[in-house]
Amino acid sequence: MSGYRGTPATNAREAAEWSTGRVLWSNLRAVIGRAYPRVIGLTREPSWIFFEIALPFLAVSAFVFVYRALDAPEEFIGFVVLGGAVTSFWLNVVWMMAAQFYWEKDQGNLELYFTAPMHLMSILAGMAIGGLVMTSSRALAVIGIGSILYGVTYSIDQPFLLAGVFLLTMIPLYGMGMLFASLFLLWGREAYHLAELLQEPIYFLGGVNFPLVALPGAVVGVVMATLPLGVGLDAMRQLAFAGSGVEGVLPVGVEIAILAAMGVIFLVGARVALRYLEHLARREGRLTLKWQ
Amino acid sequence: MSQRAASVRGITLADAWRSFRTAIGLGWAVEANWSDPFLFVVYTVAKPLAAALILVVMFDVITGGQGTEFLQFLIVGSALWNVVFGVMGGLVQSILEDRERYRMLKYIVVTPSGLFPFLLGRSLARVIVSFVAVALTLFVGVAFLGVELRPNLVYLAPATLLGILAVISLGIFMAGWCLQLRQEAWHYPEAIAGAIYLISGAIFPIDILPSFLHPIAYGSPTTWWLEASRRGLLGHGSPGAMGTLSDGAVMLFLAISTAIAIPIGLAAFAWFMKRARQAGLLDMVTGS
Repeated sequence: MSGYRGTPATNAREAAEWSTGRVLWSNLRAVIGRAYPRVIGLTREPSWIFFEIALPFLAVSAFVFVYRALDAPEEFIGFVVLGGAVTSFWLNVVWMMAAQFYWEKDQGNLELYFTAPMHLMSILAGMAIGGLVMTSSRALAVIGIGSILYGVTYSIDQPFLLAGVFLLTMIPLYGMGMLFASLFLLWGREAYHLAELLQEPIYFLGGVNFPLVALPGAVVGVVMATLPLGVGLDAMRQLAFAGSGVEGVLPVGVEIAILAAMGVIFLVGARVALRYLEHLARREGRLTLKWQ
Repeated sequence: MSQRAASVRGITLADAWRSFRTAIGLGWAVEANWSDPFLFVVYTVAKPLAAALILVVMFDVITGGQGTEFLQFLIVGSALWNVVFGVMGGLVQSILEDRERYRMLKYIVVTPSGLFPFLLGRSLARVIVSFVAVALTLFVGVAFLGVELRPNLVYLAPATLLGILAVISLGIFMAGWCLQLRQEAWHYPEAIAGAIYLISGAIFPIDILPSFLHPIAYGSPTTWWLEASRRGLLGHGSPGAMGTLSDGAVMLFLAISTAIAIPIGLAAFAWFMKRARQAGLLDMVTGS
């Protein structure tokens, strides 16, 4: 038998006297429930498809034409197309993960999350899974259209390793989004500015449109230690353009290890930040106030 | 009673000016005062600089730093493009924020001074920030990247005035259009500005574009504004076919395209506003 205790509890999960199975099932349903609108949105809101493909594609095209104007080797066109596809994921992380709790607060959903007897990590995991599915279709479209239109030739010796590196990159990337979701909420009204700030500067630091080795060594060191977008993109380029003699910052194996470590760190960081956020929300009661 | 509040007796240019001035203060408060000042400065500086630095590194990787003429072309184009994003983004964001977020648009529309002067003033903060970004990017170009400015103010001043009027016309058109949209209106300025960025020769000569895009490129006032501004700032034009035109021809094409863009922008905005009133779109909340 399960029910809610009449004694004071620090959160809704503690108040619910549920079996382990029911807790797991409730959290799984929360994950599916939060992922659902993003996945179903693929068919329900066609304008999203246009914008999420068109915006990265316009940027990709502009940079492709810059390389053409400079008579750059053809593999640089491929770098830009691949970078544009990964940019779709970054935009999704920034706007639909990091800034999401802030928008949820404005729409009045956040207090419902805090009072529901499931873990907030389940909500974030649902957002991440839904966002990943949604954005994958956009990224594939950018790669497909860009590759055909601009004649990109790939040289992939290890397709499974490339797929593995892609998936491994997504873990710290969305883990970072989960961490930022809490931080954006704490930082309040600057959420919009912060999201804007995490675009061009990150594209520059992450080497989205050029090989990362082109940046000064100290900058590359910081990127390799903190930015999964840069590390993952560098590894994917080495694997997708293996025959072109493309130079990576580090061997792919080392970059895989860095991505794995980042994945753990960002997910643990997100967990800690959420716990702090939940504590603040209950103690001060102002995190759910609109326009704060 | 008249449908249009602006036709109320006694409304003068002074009233519109007062509305415009008040809106400037409000726009600045929304943009800057509500943010942490440090974050606001970083945001203002980092975004345009990073956008320019991406191009600089791309240029450097391919050329090894040789051929500064193209680098100058890139820096000036990248710097000036901030104005297009600032104006278009400012006008559209202002109208959408006041409708969707603060829900004040309907009250502003029914005031005697009307929406137009308010909208221009409300968006001015973003426009000012965009000019700071232009100045900063040019400063970095001159101080660290070897860009040589040879300003010709007699040419630059009218080019800037005409260019800004043209961009404001595009922004007003976009602001009216975005009022009609059910969802995703927030993305439109970025999408349209991105498309114009592609065809205006902002960061590459328009000769590189596929030939079917050339008529659109030559028809856009932003193409001529960028070319005229490059000539006014650098003393020479773009690489490629555009650079072979005389200064007078570039200014003439800028003037003609701006003269076409202004009435189209104003007429479209008036029509969009009329439709928004009739369809009840002024207090619509899309939840987007």
